[in-house]
Amino acid sequence: MIGELKDPRKTFGKAVSDLAEQDERIVVLSADSGFSSGFKEFAAAHPDRYFEFGIMEQGVTGIAAGMATTGKIPVFCAIAPFVTCRNYEMFRNDLGYMRQNAKLVGRNCGFTYSDLGATHHSLEDFAVMRMIPGVVVLAPQSPDEIRAASRAMLEHEGPVYMRIGNPKIPELYDGEREFTIGKGQLLRDGSDLAIISTGSTTVYALEAAQKLAEKGVSAMIIGMPTVSPIDEEMVLMAAKKVGKIMTVEEHYCRGGLGTLVAEVCAEKAPVPVKMHGVPQEYATSGPYEELLRYYKLDAEGITEVALEFISQGSFVL
Amino acid sequence: MNERELTQLRLTAERCRRNVLRMVEASHHGHLGGAFSAMEIVTALYFYKMNVRPGEPKWEGRDRFLLSAGHKSMVQYAVLAEKGYFDKSVLDTYGGFKTKIPGHPDMYKLPGIEANTGALGHGLSIAAGMALGLRSQKNDAKVYALMGDGELAEGSNWEAAAAAAHYRLDNLTAFVDFNGLQISGRVQDVMNYTPIAEHFAAFGWAVRDIDGNDMKQVVETLDALPFEKGKPSLVVAHTVKAKGLSFGENIASFHYWEPDDAALKKGIDEVEARIEALEKELEEVQA
Repeated sequence: MIGELKDPRKTFGKAVSDLAEQDERIVVLSADSGFSSGFKEFAAAHPDRYFEFGIMEQGVTGIAAGMATTGKIPVFCAIAPFVTCRNYEMFRNDLGYMRQNAKLVGRNCGFTYSDLGATHHSLEDFAVMRMIPGVVVLAPQSPDEIRAASRAMLEHEGPVYMRIGNPKIPELYDGEREFTIGKGQLLRDGSDLAIISTGSTTVYALEAAQKLAEKGVSAMIIGMPTVSPIDEEMVLMAAKKVGKIMTVEEHYCRGGLGTLVAEVCAEKAPVPVKMHGVPQEYATSGPYEELLRYYKLDAEGITEVALEFISQGSFVL
Repeated sequence: MNERELTQLRLTAERCRRNVLRMVEASHHGHLGGAFSAMEIVTALYFYKMNVRPGEPKWEGRDRFLLSAGHKSMVQYAVLAEKGYFDKSVLDTYGGFKTKIPGHPDMYKLPGIEANTGALGHGLSIAAGMALGLRSQKNDAKVYALMGDGELAEGSNWEAAAAAAHYRLDNLTAFVDFNGLQISGRVQDVMNYTPIAEHFAAFGWAVRDIDGNDMKQVVETLDALPFEKGKPSLVVAHTVKAKGLSFGENIASFHYWEPDDAALKKGIDEVEARIEALEKELEEVQA
């Protein structure tokens, strides 16, 4: 963990605004959600490129598709479940099937809107978005990475879904790293266990690696800010080199990163995969840190699950 | 528009109906009812109103037409073929494996298609986005969307209706093909969204009710667009389902037609008889 904690929404809004200075095609759409997505300054600076629609995520997704057909690059950010589930068919048909160059960003993702309850949690956004052919699914892990991923998202030709959180988050490493869609990052080498994490949990996975080291367990940490398309090469490297993989995500443990990793392993390098995330239930509400602890997604929890997984040994068929 | 031009447009509409039946000949099925009810509107748009270049379908300055009620695809295929966007032999592949003209339109398979519609309640939002995008880059092209009447029960239409009026998109015109029938019966009985024009007017649209199968009224309506500066225009086109098929008109089951050979022949004979009569009429008008 490096540097001061930064607000992911403000970081995202600023990143898009900076990029929009260079690219006139970028427009921002809001479903009464723009200001709370970090676009207050953008709206003031570019009133002709900021479009407010009120609370109509289905309509805005279709409108984004229509605008994209004219060469615009619409960016639409709102609370994650409302830009993935509420408008799913519009995302699937108008952006996916029509292959339109629009960017939808789910903020307050996972259960970061912890106390607002399950209506405002998004624990299936990876699962539903990855099923739309051609949609890139991103989950940057740090403020610098939000900036880099925003650039990559806007430079990519085609529909993208990116999720960002709500609580302030730390940098993971010094300086800005190159961000390539579809590429994972080897953040720490190890030999007993490979932990593949995405989004908000990667910082805790790194902390867990330190705790595991203290207990004599060498954990490889892979950051996977592109959930789909999954970095198959990186998964196979971990499978072949370490032979035991644990995935960590603030998402249902089925359907998301864990499933994508397991699919690669099942077909090309069958090794035990522990898919760690939120069980298939409507997550409880309360302070975010308590939810992280409850679902064992903080450093202590990840460490505990990893040790248990290690203790199980390998499959005996 | 003079009498000769009007007769020519009517003739074109009937030739397009024949194109629809050519597709039905190939597949022995299709959403005929809505394709026939919307024929005058779509024909007049492509052959009278819209600024398009069939040989250059992606030309930036083109007017856009979206079929929100994507199941009426045969009407658009028929008109695009007649307009020269693609060879008419493609019509014979309707219903076939890997056809360019599937049951619902695909913009990556066929030139002239602007959106992948079929799921109802999508077209008006996409059209509004196009209109907004075009206007914000000072492109004068116009956007036309055609919706079904049963489709209005999809709530997303009303999101788009509000947005189009809010942004004063007078470069957008929507037509409701109000043939009054959907699969389960009368639209008003299934879910009543009448009076349609008044509903859109309340959202801030400029509206007109017309006879959508009367080519003269359709043309006069298109001449009057936009109905009001600063407002999107809504045309409630009162039409007859399966218009032009004497034994199918106003019958809900003709929404999707699976004719036997005799019924198909009867339909073709009717349309061809009208084509012949209109050709004769055109010759007389020209003489």
